[in-house]
Amino acid sequence: MGKKVAIIGTGQTNHCSSREDLNEMELVYEAASAALRDAEMTIAEIDAVVLANMELFEGRALHDMWCGEGGGAFMKHSFKISTGGTSGTSGAISGYYHAASGLFDRVMVVGFEKHSDGNTSAGMALTDPFWDRHVAAAAIGNFALSVSEYMADRGVTQEQSAKVAVKARRNACNNPHAHLQMPDLTVKEVLESPVLAYPVHRLEMCPQSDGACAIIFASEEIAKKRCPRPAWVRAAVTRHDHIYLGEVKNRLATMRSLREAARVAYETVGIREPLKEFDVAEIYDPLTYAEIAWYEALGFCKDGEGGRLIDDGITQMDGELPVNPSGGVISTNPVGASGTIRVAEAALQIHGRGGKRQIPDVNLALATGYGVYCWSDVVILSSRPD
Amino acid sequence: MNRNREGEELLRVPIHMKLQYRFPAGAHYERFFRELKKNGKIMGVRCPECERVLVPPRPVCGECFTRTDEWVEVGPKGTVVAHTSIYFPFIDGSTGKPRPIPYGAGLIQLDGAYSAINHILEEGDPDKLHVGMRVEAVLKEEREGNIGDILYFKTVEE
Repeated sequence: MGKKVAIIGTGQTNHCSSREDLNEMELVYEAASAALRDAEMTIAEIDAVVLANMELFEGRALHDMWCGEGGGAFMKHSFKISTGGTSGTSGAISGYYHAASGLFDRVMVVGFEKHSDGNTSAGMALTDPFWDRHVAAAAIGNFALSVSEYMADRGVTQEQSAKVAVKARRNACNNPHAHLQMPDLTVKEVLESPVLAYPVHRLEMCPQSDGACAIIFASEEIAKKRCPRPAWVRAAVTRHDHIYLGEVKNRLATMRSLREAARVAYETVGIREPLKEFDVAEIYDPLTYAEIAWYEALGFCKDGEGGRLIDDGITQMDGELPVNPSGGVISTNPVGASGTIRVAEAALQIHGRGGKRQIPDVNLALATGYGVYCWSDVVILSSRPD
Repeated sequence: MNRNREGEELLRVPIHMKLQYRFPAGAHYERFFRELKKNGKIMGVRCPECERVLVPPRPVCGECFTRTDEWVEVGPKGTVVAHTSIYFPFIDGSTGKPRPIPYGAGLIQLDGAYSAINHILEEGDPDKLHVGMRVEAVLKEEREGNIGDILYFKTVEE
């Protein structure tokens, strides 16, 4: 085990479809400044900076160079993490590793994406030149394929999927940073929105957002001194599955990488009944069906019972385990930041700084990341260091 | 948000580029594409340890970290394990242009292969697609030695 490390501050931009008032470096600066204010720190105190971004979505390479100064990386130890959708959680995990190694005491992680700068579909098309780019149908088409397998296997319904969309966009109304806030959305409206790739409707998918999110990790001594209620990192696990979609059998139903990451993380912390033991979860839900599949993969219920969890309101704000009080990725998706936001929102709940989206008395919080075809990150935060 | 405080439209810097790339296929794709072009055959490789037949072929089995060098013919028939019908326009990564919609797409497990492959289905109507249906690869007449040599998969009755 590494040294004890806690998150002591977080900061986010107000995410939306197009921040035309700022360029990407300015977006990074906005989130980094907010996190420093939250932690009551100056940039001079930070001794390492980790940047996280999905490459090529903005049509721009070397983000660590063009945006690093906005994150305060000048003349500091600095890395960029880029692992697709997991970039933001893997960036956070890297920040944790830096501090847990004992080599750095105060580490800032900034995840960011400015979808409106570029062409996401083009970014997705710049994948494997031999096979995938000729036949893959971007993120939506690939998910739609997996949804058809998942529905056939587990019997999850379109109504259950639509309920996840309604929950997410309503929760988002309590989050001033969220992109899609839809207080009056109904199941009917979700299912009447255009079909993008059968059976996935537009309102069942995440949006494309502009946004950035920063997190400050601190060593035990500093965390105890500087934060009244630090969010201690108790587990951080990454797992990557195969590269080709067709080699991952029944992806949403099996989700090996998430199951394995969760198994290792739960074992590390000693969690046996995740639904009962976690007070809140911020999971990376790129589309509604994935959220239901992740309930099963994360052990919130048995396989085949994910739909029942949403039917019974178990994951609503007032349910046994509120999932995504922030509105989740379905409401806000600056992809390189989306994972960082999950970790920041989980930390926020432990800090007790969640405002209208605060769940009472959060002591144990789960954050997850999802990327590429089948990559997963799991982070567990606690109000207690051990 | 699209105007500044003086009410002027915000400035944007437009960039249009035409880029060209040329990727050497590498040892395994070289053989795969050569067989497809010359003989119209779809080939996979078997891992000597776990015995999975991988399509597309790769020189190393991801699960066993073992060299793969036993080539086996797979397909051209297979079973649809997942399907969708695409209604949104997105960019075809091989041409840089939007692909015409709607169209069907599927994960197809070729006979004799462990892994399924993603490819285009001739049938695009979701009511006529189902998990478990049988399909067969339709190849180009004048093949060039790339994945585009498989045009699409057509529905077959058995």
